Amino acid sequence: MNSGLPRTLEQYRRAVRAHELSAEEYLDETRRLIERDEPQVRAFLHLRLDAAHSDAQAADPTSPLAGAPIAIKDNIMMAGERCTCGSRILEHYVAPYSATVVQSLLAAGAVVPGKTNCDEFAMGSSTENSAFFPTHNPADLIRVPGGSSGGSTAAVAAGFALGAIGSDTGGSVRQPAAFCGVVGFKPTYGRVSRYGLVAFGSSLDCIGPIARSVRDTAIMMNVMAVHDPKDATSVRRPHVDFEASLQPTLAGRRVGIIRELQGLDVQPEIAAAMEAACEAALKSGASLVDVSLPHILSALPAYYIIAPAECSANLGRFDGVRYGLHEGGRDMTETYSRTRNAGFGTEVKRRILIGAFVLSAGYYDAYYKKASSVRQLITDELDAALESADVLLTPTTPTTAFRIGAVTDPLEMYKADVFTIPANLAGVPAVSFPAGKDAAGLPIGLQLMGPRWSDAELLSSANVLFTALGGES
Amino acid sequence: MATIIDKVTLEHVASLARLEITPEEEEPLLGDLERILGHVAQLSSVDTSAIVSKRPAMTELRPDDPREGLTREEGLGGAPAMRDGFVVVRNVMGGEDE
Amino acid sequence: MTTTIGLEIHVQLATRTKMFCGCSTAFEDEPNTHVCPVCLGLPGALPTLNAEAVRLATRIATALGCTVHEVSEFSRKNYFYPDLPKSYQITQFDRPIATGGSVPIVTERGTRSVRLTRAHIEEDAGKSMHAADITLGGETLVDFNRCGMPLIEIVTEPDMQSGDEAYEFLHNLRRLVRWLGVSSGDMEKGAMRCDVNVSVSPDPAKRGTKVEIKNLNSFRSVKRAIDYEEQRQAQCLADGTPVLTETRHFDEVQGTTTAMRSKEASNDYRYFPEPDLPLLQLDPTELESLRTHMPELPWEMQSRFERDLGLLPYDAALITEERSTAEFFQQTVALCDNPKKVASYMGTEVAKLLNERGKTLTETQLTPTTLAGLLTMVEHNAISNTASKDVLPLLMDTGTTPMEAVRSLGLEQVSDTSAIEGFAREVIAENATQVEQFRGGKEAVLGFLVGQLMKKSKCKANPKLTGEILRTLLKS
Ligand SMILES: [Zn+2]
Repeated sequence: MNSGLPRTLEQYRRAVRAHELSAEEYLDETRRLIERDEPQVRAFLHLRLDAAHSDAQAADPTSPLAGAPIAIKDNIMMAGERCTCGSRILEHYVAPYSATVVQSLLAAGAVVPGKTNCDEFAMGSSTENSAFFPTHNPADLIRVPGGSSGGSTAAVAAGFALGAIGSDTGGSVRQPAAFCGVVGFKPTYGRVSRYGLVAFGSSLDCIGPIARSVRDTAIMMNVMAVHDPKDATSVRRPHVDFEASLQPTLAGRRVGIIRELQGLDVQPEIAAAMEAACEAALKSGASLVDVSLPHILSALPAYYIIAPAECSANLGRFDGVRYGLHEGGRDMTETYSRTRNAGFGTEVKRRILIGAFVLSAGYYDAYYKKASSVRQLITDELDAALESADVLLTPTTPTTAFRIGAVTDPLEMYKADVFTIPANLAGVPAVSFPAGKDAAGLPIGLQLMGPRWSDAELLSSANVLFTALGGES
Repeated sequence: MATIIDKVTLEHVASLARLEITPEEEEPLLGDLERILGHVAQLSSVDTSAIVSKRPAMTELRPDDPREGLTREEGLGGAPAMRDGFVVVRNVMGGEDE
Repeated sequence: MTTTIGLEIHVQLATRTKMFCGCSTAFEDEPNTHVCPVCLGLPGALPTLNAEAVRLATRIATALGCTVHEVSEFSRKNYFYPDLPKSYQITQFDRPIATGGSVPIVTERGTRSVRLTRAHIEEDAGKSMHAADITLGGETLVDFNRCGMPLIEIVTEPDMQSGDEAYEFLHNLRRLVRWLGVSSGDMEKGAMRCDVNVSVSPDPAKRGTKVEIKNLNSFRSVKRAIDYEEQRQAQCLADGTPVLTETRHFDEVQGTTTAMRSKEASNDYRYFPEPDLPLLQLDPTELESLRTHMPELPWEMQSRFERDLGLLPYDAALITEERSTAEFFQQTVALCDNPKKVASYMGTEVAKLLNERGKTLTETQLTPTTLAGLLTMVEHNAISNTASKDVLPLLMDTGTTPMEAVRSLGLEQVSDTSAIEGFAREVIAENATQVEQFRGGKEAVLGFLVGQLMKKSKCKANPKLTGEILRTLLKS
């Protein structure tokens, strides 16, 4: 990108407001970049650059997002645009309405260049489960961008958008953010409306912003964090200015390190990044505290019961009766199975089967009910730990981005979510921010978790560490 | 360790979920599911006897005011078959609950 | 043989919008016109709970004497069917809004109480029309207008023993839901639907095999289906053929039940808590206020009218069938203080005219004031009871006052002694033979002479006065 162009949403907004740049000019630059690099990255399932151009021309420079290009994950509805969820079953589906968060973004002056690739129905950690094509990591094109919001994080990393939104059910915003070297934020469950997000695990799903700086995610949260009467799990909260809440230091903040995660096998450079972050925290006035979460390692198995159970019900609606793919059979039973068989990929089928199994008669108590209790146990432990610490620091992922095709075993793939899943189970906010690179030059991400509804304070802490470790302030 | 999921159970679960499993898919799928379920089954060793669910309650209900919905075309324009405003499906076998 | 019957009744709550979306509940012929992303199960849509549906459900549950739970939970019931867009129904399972309660019924065995197991709120499915309903060549037509309609499902204990008792229960429940404005209770329009469980056993101490009957579209069908099923199961037991645990379909035309095609695999609904809806929490002070402000229930009012006002059971039942009728009755009685007369008049003359007109009381011009006025005129001999029957249609159809109506019809009763004496002298002069007979001791002839006088007065003469005057003149 032209060095004179803004690199962050914050810089962009300042330039536009100062009349040094117009939304239209910036979009044209973005378009040139997309035309040049998208064939290699493949971040988008659908582009709408002509429409975006008109939107940019009409954008109000004084609006909160001032015509900035913001990409949308293709499991979030935007009226009149296709919404495939990376699945054959919705290959030709056009959204008849917009998600609440999309309405908010558009009303705040966002310009949408396109809908981004993702693992089918957000199930995956590499975007390889997209029914259409894998997305490539802009940092190294032979590697995955992470997932499931890999298209969104790749788009931001590649400069195809200043920000993006993704969905995070077990780490699907944070993990690809770490792999692509951008910031990904999963808000407190209930902070951002889920209306219009195609449900995967309804009790876990959160829509979150992805951007090149922590400040940019705060700017986006100011637009996205709106109570929505259309979502019964959306919670009305006092108004918070996320951007204005960013503090320069960590003075007086207690940064917790989780004892039980210390023994986990983590790539050495990531362990080193953790060390560096701890030093930066101390330097900025924070104290380090050791916290214990005795059952945190049960989060992964609990998640892989609860999320599939919910997905097995949520994906039942794709039955070929009212919309989407339809494969006729002799009767409805056959029509259903043919449609669903042709429409769903292997990983989705696997999770639907696990979900139906753990909910079925005879297994419900041992699996689903047990997992719900364990979830509550982990939540109680996290809540208690977040009494003795203001934030918890962990790596986002055990490794940096792996090569496309390198991980084929589903269980191995699931285990990569070990650091991100607890926040979803407990509904607490968590953010992944870039913290240097490994020996191969691949981005490293670290995660901070905070208490429920401490979203603004959490972003503030993350911003201090992020900038201390070399990020844009 | 005893098998968690066998062929019969898999077929039952697949039929509940309206998924068809081809003979080629069956073996690898059984293997994957067995390993995944084996992994998650470790939860049985966690003592949850004292755990009390803390699900939150709804903070507000919807007022009973009619709102504009979708037209038939907007809502069902993508349905594979329509006639006289109805959605047409193949004959429904058996009698699931209404 | 002992028959044991339990009912599961779905009552559609009288809200303006559906249970989980803002679509109208108005009855609509045009299929698929009251739909939105939520009730069509479009991807990304989420349910929001209708406050009014909760209020109505709480109201009926309170009236039924249920324990209304401060906290209840919604669950997903998973099954595939073309009229179920999400592939799950949002209902309540582990933690329903209410448990317990009862409904009194008057039966051959005396007044009994039918206990309720539970009541829970849920959404309705869409409507499927199968090849059997119309000629479709093996296709099913689906309309989603009904999808998401708010229902309360009421489940009884197996406390009924005959089709008549089940009929009585349903009648009483319907009376209550209409009384409280909770539902139209219109079974023909599907606002009240009922599934029946029937078991017959030779041993009164043991329950027989439970057979479920579906497709019951009227109270009469419920009774007919039970009567048939009782007989069929008794016959099976007599023949030694086993009664199967199954779901049977009632055939309206044949009056018989037939086994429904057995469901593929066994039903395994995989219920689990609905993650899109947090718990439903009711305000205890509102629940308490609902209890204290509950109006008198129809069966309570009915027995009070029998006990305190001396109404006949038939009249008391009729008066308390509809709340508007009961209120009309009470207002009328307040104006003319003759409850038995008001009740019997409403049960005969008023009911007859309403029936002829195909109207309900509130749809006519008759008011408690005009009815009380009419009955007071009869009581004070201003008009005869017979004449009142000519006045009533005017009060109903034109809304005129009884005075005006009587005047316009020229029906004032003549109680003027001198006028009646005049008629009497004429009658005596014209009927010499009969006068002789009377004077000779044949008292019965008086009736003939009264009739002659009434004819002369065009029926306006007060019959009692007429008799007295004639007798005096004849004896003088
Ligand atoms: Zn609707």
